[in-house]
Amino acid sequence: MSRTLVGRTTAITAVAMAATLVAACGGGGDAGDGGKVKLSIGVFSDFGYTDLIKEYQASHPNIEIEQRTVKMEQHHTQLATQLAGGRGAADIVAIEEGNIAQFRQSKDKFVNLADHGAKDLESQWAAWKWNQGTTDGGDFVLGLGTDMGSLALCYRRDLFQAAGLPTDREEVGKLWPTWDEYLEVADTFTRKTPNVKFADTAQNVYKAILDQTEEGYFAKSDDSFIADRNDKVKEAFTLAASLGEKKQTSALAPFSQDWNVALKQASFATTTCPAWALALIKAGAGDEAAGKWDVAAAPGGGGNWGGSFLAVPKQGKHPKEAYELARWLTAPEQQKRIFKETGNLPSEPAAYKDPEVTATTNEYFNSAPVGRIFGDSAENLKPTYRGTKDSKVTPVFNNALSRVESGKQSTSDAFDQALREARDAAK
Amino acid sequence: MTVAPERTTAGRGTQPVPPSAERLSWRDKLGRLDTKYTPYLIIAPFFVVFGVFGLYPLLFTAWVSLHEWQLIDGDQGFTGLDNYTELLSDKNFWNALGNTVSLFLLSTVPQLFAALGLAALLDRGLRGRAFWRAGVLLPNVISVAAVALVFAQLFGRDFGVVNALLGVVGIDPVDWRAETWASHLAISSMVMWRWTGYNALIYLAAMQSVPKDMCESAMLDGASRWRVFWSITVPSIRPTILFTVIVSTIGGMQLFVEPQLFDPGGTATGTGGDDRQFQTLVMYLYEKGFRLFDAGYSSAIAWVLFLLILVVAVVNFTVARRIASKG
Repeated sequence: MSRTLVGRTTAITAVAMAATLVAACGGGGDAGDGGKVKLSIGVFSDFGYTDLIKEYQASHPNIEIEQRTVKMEQHHTQLATQLAGGRGAADIVAIEEGNIAQFRQSKDKFVNLADHGAKDLESQWAAWKWNQGTTDGGDFVLGLGTDMGSLALCYRRDLFQAAGLPTDREEVGKLWPTWDEYLEVADTFTRKTPNVKFADTAQNVYKAILDQTEEGYFAKSDDSFIADRNDKVKEAFTLAASLGEKKQTSALAPFSQDWNVALKQASFATTTCPAWALALIKAGAGDEAAGKWDVAAAPGGGGNWGGSFLAVPKQGKHPKEAYELARWLTAPEQQKRIFKETGNLPSEPAAYKDPEVTATTNEYFNSAPVGRIFGDSAENLKPTYRGTKDSKVTPVFNNALSRVESGKQSTSDAFDQALREARDAAK
Repeated sequence: MTVAPERTTAGRGTQPVPPSAERLSWRDKLGRLDTKYTPYLIIAPFFVVFGVFGLYPLLFTAWVSLHEWQLIDGDQGFTGLDNYTELLSDKNFWNALGNTVSLFLLSTVPQLFAALGLAALLDRGLRGRAFWRAGVLLPNVISVAAVALVFAQLFGRDFGVVNALLGVVGIDPVDWRAETWASHLAISSMVMWRWTGYNALIYLAAMQSVPKDMCESAMLDGASRWRVFWSITVPSIRPTILFTVIVSTIGGMQLFVEPQLFDPGGTATGTGGDDRQFQTLVMYLYEKGFRLFDAGYSSAIAWVLFLLILVVAVVNFTVARRIASKG
């Protein structure tokens, strides 16, 4: 081997190693072209931000925004690992209501938006929505509210007609002021049309009922585990499970691929629908079902399911700019526009009480006055308390309901097993 | 790291200088060092990469497993072997281990036999040989996610093709996700679909180096094709079979994506069915670490899994070698 070859191999090795090292540490570069501030925003499903981002960039020429979208459950897991690793999170991240309690626990990984003046904005939001996004008695502002879920019940008009039930949404709403009456309607429906299921899944009914209570699995006062003492949990579980026991549900995993197919096949007649679910139903049922689904008031009065917040992780390089953008995206003007575009319900009275919003109808859902239905539901809303470990305990009860639906366990056995597992998960 | 080998050369080069070496020109010395150390230098990058992405995580995971460690907030205090003792009395862990072994056996054993048969077919003079050989690899090239999506629909309870076909024969629809045995069959079929062709190609490559004259003389002596295959071909490719068994074992013990995507609850629950019917060890690790944020416990599972694979691989190796040496 000649000397030059030695030199060359050494050089190649060095370059190869340098490359691996760079690769290992890469991915952090930003700033650069012309001193523009690059912001990224991490969301899941459709927040309706695409056009708004273009507009913001046009009015802020020094800011460049990148939107990253992934599936919801993936989004939160990814965010957790990014916070743990100290890098990789977007400058602004969306956090869903069911998950925010667990991130509140790790608040030191986030920017306190109060430091940037967020407290002045408090009056924009419905009080409960604002409170969900804060901690430390309101001193630490973790996230600014985007949309909220509210709650209604969607039903298929043609299937109701076939079962001899009323089809007008006002009358349908009057059929079930309470969940007990909802179950009675289910019995009537099954008697008349035994081959069609009344609801998609007991899991959604359960969540809807539980979300109408003040406390669920955890105590509002000290975040302790109370699912085994809270009668409301058992009550909601038993009500929902009875649908499963009587085989009145399609026993589907909510919003899964099978759920979509079942929608397309018109194999169930009712489903709980928070505002954001309208888009999912429409996508699943397809154009041929246009005008067949309709929206009625949910049993038991309003409730909230879903809705999100925008938070700013500390690891970002431009907290101030990120806050400015989050503030703009969550302002009433923008929330109104998002509602019109995607159907995501505003969480600010100024927006959901706006005549433009309340007058909105949804053509696909037989021109239902969704603006009024969801707006009304939002007004009566008593939010349920979400414990820090809520998102860990919830799947346990969903699995239990699924076991009842498939006939593998009785309601009480399933509930007992769920309590045992929940205690473990809440440890 | 680049400097390390050079430093040792310098250190060693100065000590045992033979008298004649003084007359050696620096060019010769360099030449000697070159032949001695360049090979190490060339393979060094692998070890650097392995160290960074293999060894370091392995050791760090061991460290984490000795702590109570919350995924986001990090270290919550040293707990020694607590995570491991808890693991050993954890019903869900044993359940996951049982599922993993069952899924491994159900998918690997038929898969390797099918691969052998497929390879034997491909080894015969087929028309359009390249087409068939590329074809069997195709399922392996397609992304797991896509495969899982298609299989999840095939095995749908209400509108799945498999249930429709069973209905034709008069068998009641099966709830593929609710029954343990049914879910294991469905997931194994997915694994087999993906890996049979791959193993067949490896066997095929080995079979082609089996001397043809041996087979021909056996045939002349009146041996059937079947006899030739089992008495000559298979014994000749034993080392290759051993290799595929070990690789499949490692893959089988780490089975994750197929069952995870088969679960309609997906990563949101990560329990592999509503009663953990098909939750594998890695799925349990994922559930603990990334849904329940218990990184310490999750790391303990990872280490137990690592040791298990090591044990199984060693057992595999000795058993298979004993079989191989018999032939």
